[in-house]
Amino acid sequence: MTAYLANLATLAAIFGILAATLNVAVGYAGIFSVAHAVFFGLGAYAGAQLALLVVPDALLAMVVAALVAGGLSLCLALPALRVRGEYFVAASLGLQMMATTLFTEAKGLTGGMGGLVGIPRPMILGVEVPTLALALTALVLILLATWLMARGSFGRTLRAIRDAESAAEALGKNINAAKALAVAFACAGAGVAGALFALHMSFVNVESFTLDQSVLIMAMVIVGGTGTLWGPLLGAVLLLSLPAGLSFLPFIPPTEIGAVQQILYGAAMTLLMIFRPAGLLGDMRTGRKA
Amino acid sequence: MRLSRRALLGSAIAAPTLARAQGGDPYVLGTLFPLSGPNAEYGKVFTEGVQLAMQHAEAERMLRRPLRLQAEDTQALPQQAVVGMTKLVNVDRANYVMVGFTAVSKAVAPIGDRSKTVMVNGGAVGPDLAGLSPYFWNTIPLAHLETREMLPFMMRRNLKRVALVYVDDPLGDAILGIFRNDLPRAGGELVGSFSIPRTAQQFGPVAARIRQTRPDTVYIASFGAQQGQIIKGLRDNGVSVPLTSYSAMNLESIRNLAEAEGLLFTSQQTDFASGDELTRRYATDFKARFGSDPGTYNTNYYNATRLFCLLAGKLERENKEVNGDTLRAALLEQKEFDLVGGRATFDEQGSMTAAIQINEVRGGRVNVVTG
Repeated sequence: MTAYLANLATLAAIFGILAATLNVAVGYAGIFSVAHAVFFGLGAYAGAQLALLVVPDALLAMVVAALVAGGLSLCLALPALRVRGEYFVAASLGLQMMATTLFTEAKGLTGGMGGLVGIPRPMILGVEVPTLALALTALVLILLATWLMARGSFGRTLRAIRDAESAAEALGKNINAAKALAVAFACAGAGVAGALFALHMSFVNVESFTLDQSVLIMAMVIVGGTGTLWGPLLGAVLLLSLPAGLSFLPFIPPTEIGAVQQILYGAAMTLLMIFRPAGLLGDMRTGRKA
Repeated sequence: MRLSRRALLGSAIAAPTLARAQGGDPYVLGTLFPLSGPNAEYGKVFTEGVQLAMQHAEAERMLRRPLRLQAEDTQALPQQAVVGMTKLVNVDRANYVMVGFTAVSKAVAPIGDRSKTVMVNGGAVGPDLAGLSPYFWNTIPLAHLETREMLPFMMRRNLKRVALVYVDDPLGDAILGIFRNDLPRAGGELVGSFSIPRTAQQFGPVAARIRQTRPDTVYIASFGAQQGQIIKGLRDNGVSVPLTSYSAMNLESIRNLAEAEGLLFTSQQTDFASGDELTRRYATDFKARFGSDPGTYNTNYYNATRLFCLLAGKLERENKEVNGDTLRAALLEQKEFDLVGGRATFDEQGSMTAAIQINEVRGGRVNVVTG
């Protein structure tokens, strides 16, 4: 049972990182990206290849993954600088679809649909370490960075851009630099999560980095509460533990668990949006129409 | 999906009762199948095979201890599969886990390898599944073996100019390799090969390009819900030549597709009408319980479950513990087993080879064309 719970906690921490970093873009800067799984995938492939070809050092894998994903965040930042709102959602959707195809076709780097197998377990200085400890440490550091950022002038700038971009620009804020930095931070964090995911799973393929995954991460942020520190983490834990918890309910026949999960998922999301439109920890005033 | 929910519900409720009928803690048979999402039809089909084999094992008293089915929904995705496999290994203490789908198989193989839990695939046919782990076995002939058997049949039917539509994955790549290398040697010609993304749903442009190659047959190397869409897309866009494929086509949704009339596909040999007693009883009982003729996947997972019963029964008779190591040793010691469809042979990697037959879809039924 301990190993099972540790596995769930590891995935929750990894997805907590994903949700927390997406929250910086969505919740603070108002950049609604449905391509977060792309950067998750870039980090996963970078971390996996490093572990397979060079050394399975977890810290190095996370740094390389963050650099690759953060560096390539320009792919997302460029459209973010030109369009906003629903137009940006469409642009990020295009990026997600293009990246999924690239992940499938770039077999030399990603293994294509067959994926990368036999990724070594994470090590630090030659000693194997549990992914849970690494993931929790990374999660705490990212939450701390987010908290510090939100309290500072950069956080205020992002919120100003989110609420009234033109007004923020009129006040002399460097909109482009702030957006690009927010996107780079979010994508680098997703890269770190990707490296941890690859080292934890020992196998990655494109099916973990599709639009469905991006939507799931977005759902974690929305369910928990956008623009809050703990909301996305709560959303990640909730959306990951709900299916796991349901499989223990004795009155659901095991072969019906899939259908029951989907029904409960849908019902819970609908009820949540009715009664907590701003998310579980979100500001109730921001969720409803006046 | 007729009968599915009720049948599965009934058997799930009955399972604990069956478990109490025999003594001792039950052997836990875990399944990691898609029970929701676009591939849920496969999960239902796979599970039916397992359930019937459990019913037969209980009736025959093949084991001293009862059997318990523990199903986990993977949605055919690796992440969910890892969560399910970790639960099966660490919480349910599964003795034997049945899996399907390539990505799921690859994702759970390291966990099964570390815990020395036997995993058996009866659904995915990618050639890269051979040798994933000493504890990872296949009760389905991998696709490249099936495709090779199709070539002589194609030549006899004068289907010499072949166009291939394939998903760009290890399965598709392997089949493309066979058509490039083995088809010319058999006397045929690969007149066109068309790679499609796994998520593609529109096949009009592909059909137009296929028509330009003037093939005698179009071979489809895909799986899941996409198969039916390809067949419909080709027929709707004027491709009228015979369609050929492999065992993934043996699904009710394909059989009932009007456009699939005349579809030829390979599967492992199963003579339900005049085969051995085990095969005939399987076909009769399957129809009685589920209301339809069994398909390839039903059979593969029946065989996977039966294989466990045969191996565990042997170990019980020898007063040995039933675990991953002893099951593997018993498999490698015997290697040949009487399963549905006839005698099956396992190699050192735990992959099964069996005789292949060609089937044809006619009037919503699958007819054996040649063995």
